[in-house]
Amino acid sequence: MAEQHDQHSISYKTYLMTWVWLLVLTALALGLGYTNIDERLKAFLLVCTTLAKILVIAAVFMHLRYERINLILITFTPLILAVILFSFTFPETLGNATHLIRVR
Amino acid sequence: MESSIAEQQRILASDWGGGKSPFGTSWSKFMMWIFIISDALTFAAFLITYGFMRSISPQWPKQTEVFNMVLITFMTFMLISSSAVMAMAVAAARARQPKLAVQFLALTILGGLIFLGCQAYEWTNLIEEGARLTRNPWGVPQFSAAFFVITGFHGFHVFSGVTILAIVALRAAMGKYSADGVENAGLYWHFVDVVWVFVFAFFYLL
Repeated sequence: MAEQHDQHSISYKTYLMTWVWLLVLTALALGLGYTNIDERLKAFLLVCTTLAKILVIAAVFMHLRYERINLILITFTPLILAVILFSFTFPETLGNATHLIRVR
Repeated sequence: MESSIAEQQRILASDWGGGKSPFGTSWSKFMMWIFIISDALTFAAFLITYGFMRSISPQWPKQTEVFNMVLITFMTFMLISSSAVMAMAVAAARARQPKLAVQFLALTILGGLIFLGCQAYEWTNLIEEGARLTRNPWGVPQFSAAFFVITGFHGFHVFSGVTILAIVALRAAMGKYSADGVENAGLYWHFVDVVWVFVFAFFYLL
């Protein structure tokens, strides 16, 4: 059933529209990069636009929306492991951690 | 007895039923996904290390002053566009239109080559300005280390992708291609695009 979807459901027009949406999201991210807002809010909003972009690429370009749910879930493992690694390491940087790095 | 066979078939046909093809894909596509997942972990480690170094660093150079952001945005545009054209190449290969598929593949390769050219130009400029793996003129040495390692690894992935796509395009032009092969090469190319989306947001914009 997945193969049938692959062959028939996605048209060139869908790909073109996806491309336009990706460019819109890129422009949004670029705009965020240049705005003068709180660093943490900026980081959060950039994470949101980035996740939106990778979800669109994975779902449409990589045909993930037509795959079985078990394959879709497997592709999320790097993201989950990355969040775990991040939450283990990031607290180390809080407080006065500047002794770990040197400015020349 | 009959009802139990029907029940077994119903279970096997469901998403979690297992059976001969538990993921409902060809083995080659599934292997490509496994490779992409492991490669994603490599880049996740790079980006998290970069985040760690950056947050313990007392200062970090302003990217808009170090990089040519017009060039970086153009590179992003090229990679996203080539990804869209690659998706069309897969659709053409599935629709058994090899000539159209080869044309789309050629455009994808062109996009990849333009990206690599821009990156070579960017690296040359920064090296001429004195940036090295261990030092740079803008403050913390970790800045250029992260830059060269992350964009270098990504650039090498783009180079590998261009090579793979050239082989797939040549085979398609000779009539020796399968739609699955084009799709697997496409999956890799889209992954390279996904990695750049992260690099663009967290290294160049944040």
